[in-house]
Amino acid sequence: MKDFEPRIIAFLCNWCSYAGADLAGVSRFQYPPNIRVIRVMCSGSVSPHHVLHAFQRGADGVLVAGCHIGDCHYLKGNYMTVKRVKFLEGLLQFAGYDSARLRLEWISAAEGIKFAEVVRDFTEKIKQLGPAPSFEAVPERALGA
Amino acid sequence: MNIKIKQLLEDGRVDGFWAYKTTHGFPFPWLFTRENLDELEPWQCTKARYPILKLLLAEARNHPDKTYGVLLRGCEERGLHELFKWNQLQPEKVVVLGQACSQGLAIECECSKPFPEEIHYGTPVDPVVESRKVKELESMEPEARQQWWLSHFNRCIRCHGCRDICPVCFCTECSLEHNALIPGEKLPPDTSFHLVRAIHMGGRCIDCGLCEEVCPAGIPLRSLYKEVNLLVEDIFGYKPGAADGKSPFSFLGEEMLLPSGPR
Ligand code: SF4
Ligand code: SF4
Ligand code: FES
Repeated sequence: MKDFEPRIIAFLCNWCSYAGADLAGVSRFQYPPNIRVIRVMCSGSVSPHHVLHAFQRGADGVLVAGCHIGDCHYLKGNYMTVKRVKFLEGLLQFAGYDSARLRLEWISAAEGIKFAEVVRDFTEKIKQLGPAPSFEAVPERALGA
Repeated sequence: MNIKIKQLLEDGRVDGFWAYKTTHGFPFPWLFTRENLDELEPWQCTKARYPILKLLLAEARNHPDKTYGVLLRGCEERGLHELFKWNQLQPEKVVVLGQACSQGLAIECECSKPFPEEIHYGTPVDPVVESRKVKELESMEPEARQQWWLSHFNRCIRCHGCRDICPVCFCTECSLEHNALIPGEKLPPDTSFHLVRAIHMGGRCIDCGLCEEVCPAGIPLRSLYKEVNLLVEDIFGYKPGAADGKSPFSFLGEEMLLPSGPR
């Protein structure tokens, strides 16, 4: 598992977390290159479908990051985010997928350090978990076999 | 003859009434009006279940000015409440007569409320408080559970029957047919097909079990959505089908509705 380089999709909200990532960049904080960033206007615009789609297409982890509660630029968009993520975690768990592969973080535009830390920590976790199981509806062995 | 329904129609309280009529020896959903009053039959306690809310919804969409009556079980009444909340039907245009289910049916369904608020036909029986099937699944190791689901999802022929029969699936455009999201040519569809549907049932599924009953592949869908309901109740304290309250996914939210735990 040593050479495993996870693919992590990060949905970052435009106003806080993307700016936080930007700050991490200009401040030259180091973080692993495993994340692929998708900039969204608000974390509340990340549908559970997007998250599932990322896993379906082979993501090993999905990070959703937005403004802290109270700071969302659309006032309560991130309220929806946390509701959806909590629900989705439970659902993934019930379907037998490790919900630790989905992570929600609040990262403000000033938290470049936090951004780098989160990416480092999350990448490390996913490395330990190994490659994500496939979404293909093909069981490893037939039931009862 | 069914006096209550006859009365409602004769008094002009309703323009039509959805109940059942024996056809080829089976109870079959039927729209009774003042024209076919004489076809009304006495009520009987049966196990026959149909998407009667779907029929009602279609009829009401075609005739928005008319008032309809409908004979409902507990689950169907929960569905009606959701349709009201999601603005699909108007409460003042629907008149309900309630029927209680038999104990046998309640046990088969693992139904948490096998009778409507007001019972006009039959006697209420004991609810089933906990789903044994879901408990069993919850106690499995995650990996075994995943394999268990995959071995069932594997048989899906993507007929969309589960969606088409569902009383609370009322959208006119459906994510399950979004080709980028769930590649259309793939058979069986992958796990995302079932999880997307499960997500849409969050805060909506009223646990009627019609999806599982209709599925030609015999996929234990009801257990999946029962868990969805447990999650929504656990996290948000919301039970779909209650006469009041709103799905946590239908509004952005109040602080108190935010799930606890690290954010
Ligand atoms: S009814 Fe069954 S076979 Fe048809 S789409 Fe739904 S899960 Fe698949
Ligand atoms: S049990 Fe199935 S058919 Fe009934 S409301 Fe839930 S998802 Fe829809
Ligand atoms: S704008 Fe950042 S979470 Fe809504």
